[in-house]
Amino acid sequence: MNRFGLLTVAVAAVAAIVLPFLLKPFGIYLISMWVVLTIAAIGLNLTLGYAGQVSMAQGAFVGIGAYAVALLTAAGWPFFPAFVIAGLLCFAIGWLLGYPALRVQHHYLAFVTLAFNTLVFLVLRNEEWLTNGTYGIAGTERPHLFGLSTDGARAFYFFCLGMLVLLAAATWWMLRSPWGRAFVALRENPIRALSLGLDTRRYTLMAFALGSTLGGLAGGLYAPLVQFIEPNSFSLNMSFNLLLMVIVGGSGRFFGPFVGALIAVLLPEWMRIAEGYYLIIYAMLVMILMVFCPTGVLGLVEKLFKPKKPPAAAAAPTLKAEATSR
Amino acid sequence: MLRTGFLVSLVAAGISLASTAHAQQKTVYMPAILELSGPGAVSGTNFRDGMLMAIDEINKAGGILGHKIETPVLDTQSDAGTSRAQLQKVLDNKPYVVFGPVYSGSVLVDMLMTQKAEIPEIVGGEAAAITQKNNPYVFRTSFGQQFSMPKIANYIRDSIKAKSVALIWVNNDFGKGGRDNFTKEMKDRGIKVVADISTESGQADFSADVVKIKGANADAVFVYLNEEESARFLKEAKKQGIKAPLIGETTLLGQKVIDLAGGAADGVQGHVGLTVDAPIKAVQDFAAKFKARYNYVCDHNGIKGYTAVYFAKYVTEKVGKFDSKAFAAKAHGLTITPKEEPGILMEAMWDKNGDIDRESFLGEVVNGKQKIVKILPMLSKK
Repeated sequence: MNRFGLLTVAVAAVAAIVLPFLLKPFGIYLISMWVVLTIAAIGLNLTLGYAGQVSMAQGAFVGIGAYAVALLTAAGWPFFPAFVIAGLLCFAIGWLLGYPALRVQHHYLAFVTLAFNTLVFLVLRNEEWLTNGTYGIAGTERPHLFGLSTDGARAFYFFCLGMLVLLAAATWWMLRSPWGRAFVALRENPIRALSLGLDTRRYTLMAFALGSTLGGLAGGLYAPLVQFIEPNSFSLNMSFNLLLMVIVGGSGRFFGPFVGALIAVLLPEWMRIAEGYYLIIYAMLVMILMVFCPTGVLGLVEKLFKPKKPPAAAAAPTLKAEATSR
Repeated sequence: MLRTGFLVSLVAAGISLASTAHAQQKTVYMPAILELSGPGAVSGTNFRDGMLMAIDEINKAGGILGHKIETPVLDTQSDAGTSRAQLQKVLDNKPYVVFGPVYSGSVLVDMLMTQKAEIPEIVGGEAAAITQKNNPYVFRTSFGQQFSMPKIANYIRDSIKAKSVALIWVNNDFGKGGRDNFTKEMKDRGIKVVADISTESGQADFSADVVKIKGANADAVFVYLNEEESARFLKEAKKQGIKAPLIGETTLLGQKVIDLAGGAADGVQGHVGLTVDAPIKAVQDFAAKFKARYNYVCDHNGIKGYTAVYFAKYVTEKVGKFDSKAFAAKAHGLTITPKEEPGILMEAMWDKNGDIDRESFLGEVVNGKQKIVKILPMLSKK
């Protein structure tokens, strides 16, 4: 990361700490939602952006995580064990969902994951004995941390922000480890990766499992944030929205989900000044953004600020160079 | 130069006067959270239009206790999570009363927050659970399913004289709540439910469902779907020639469904909690005003929105000040007659849970119009 990037991250970090003291509860709720959805989008970015496995099921994992935490805490479990169980459950289901990816790719894989999302939605809605069906689950309690309640809007925001920092740091570390390079290799040229001795089967399953785990953990925070969950919240719309965040922010770029989630959460709110037209304007802005910067906002920023290299230096980047520059 | 200076002074004086007048205009903040997009848009926009009409009338007549009503309308996108966020936004500005939402799922999440903030919420939701949670701040504008389903069950037993019934319902919080209450009422009356068919919100093709219903050979078919799905079902039922009477509860006999279904709605019968075709002059005058203003026929949600505002006005004037807690306390057990408050349209009573009681109707669709055949008395006056 260059000096400009570091400065931007530092300013964003200060803003993330100072903003809740300047905002009313609604503003704090919105930035809390941004934090939660960023975690889910980081997971999808791992699966899609880095490992190149198309997944339209991230919303389902957010749902599984949310229901796991809501049901377990309602049954008397403390938050943290429930939160860990939500992550582990999504890891296991994500691993299983990875198996079809060993056989099919691209839009075929997209349809497999899309069908999985619908399946999860139907289970959440129809298995009323477990999930309370269409009536949903209200009043998931917010956790206590070191004896302190996070019931207030600001306290819960900082709790979510802490989780985001931890999970983002873990993802950052992983992407710079051989695992991260293996994921990129999987995306760029799986046959060459296999010929170099990489266990592509294991890394494909791992890409799904880790991405899904982050989705589940985001769901574990979503339930106590909104304090009401119902199957419709985790239908295909949620998955499409998360996909939008990853693509708009910049797929395969570490900070892409942060920017994408910011746009997807805040832009429709800002557009509300247009009253009845706000969703139309929002949709048009997203279309314009995709037409003019298909590599997402961060791709555009890179294009604008990166110094132009002379032709000789424009040789194809090595796998390692690409993995570390993102 | 002199003329320009004079003009500038005049404009400045005008602006100053206007802003003084604006500053002197007292307002009361009563926001609305409604379904303006997504599958609930038909219900939400009807509620909004009825509500805004009442607000304009009241504001033109001087407002409530000399305060004009200020009602921004925020869209829930028919999603409970978005509804919760929008409610948080309005709670930050300390509202006196909140109107909406109409979708029961959104009501169930919002009412927890308004209860915590001690702000009355006047909702359009009909799920039974809304008023079964001991929340003293939630008030209905129409029957809950626990009151409407016994009425429709009696109708099926006494007027249709059915021994078996096929049930088709939409699998969302509205439909599932209705289905659960309906099957319980059928069981209590010894009427057999021979087909229990769940459908999807937004479903376009009902041919397979109608085949199943025909195969069930029931004495009557009870249809509990949202507006657009009701119309699609009726078209398919007509196409496949279902002979058993099609029975509905309010929505199926609504003008929106009748318009969308074309001639396929003719012959539909059932219970109507609220309707602009009620043989009551105040309701018909309201319907005419609504049609003249918005150029479409209002459904029951429009009446909910309109009466919600007059309910808030009446209770506030009884309390004599803008006190949200006193509002909630006063409104329980209150009866409002059209003589006391013409905008309430029909005599209505709110019980200790916030449930509403008023007259309702039995109707049928004849030549593309809803026809009321019987008025059912208020439950408390039986």
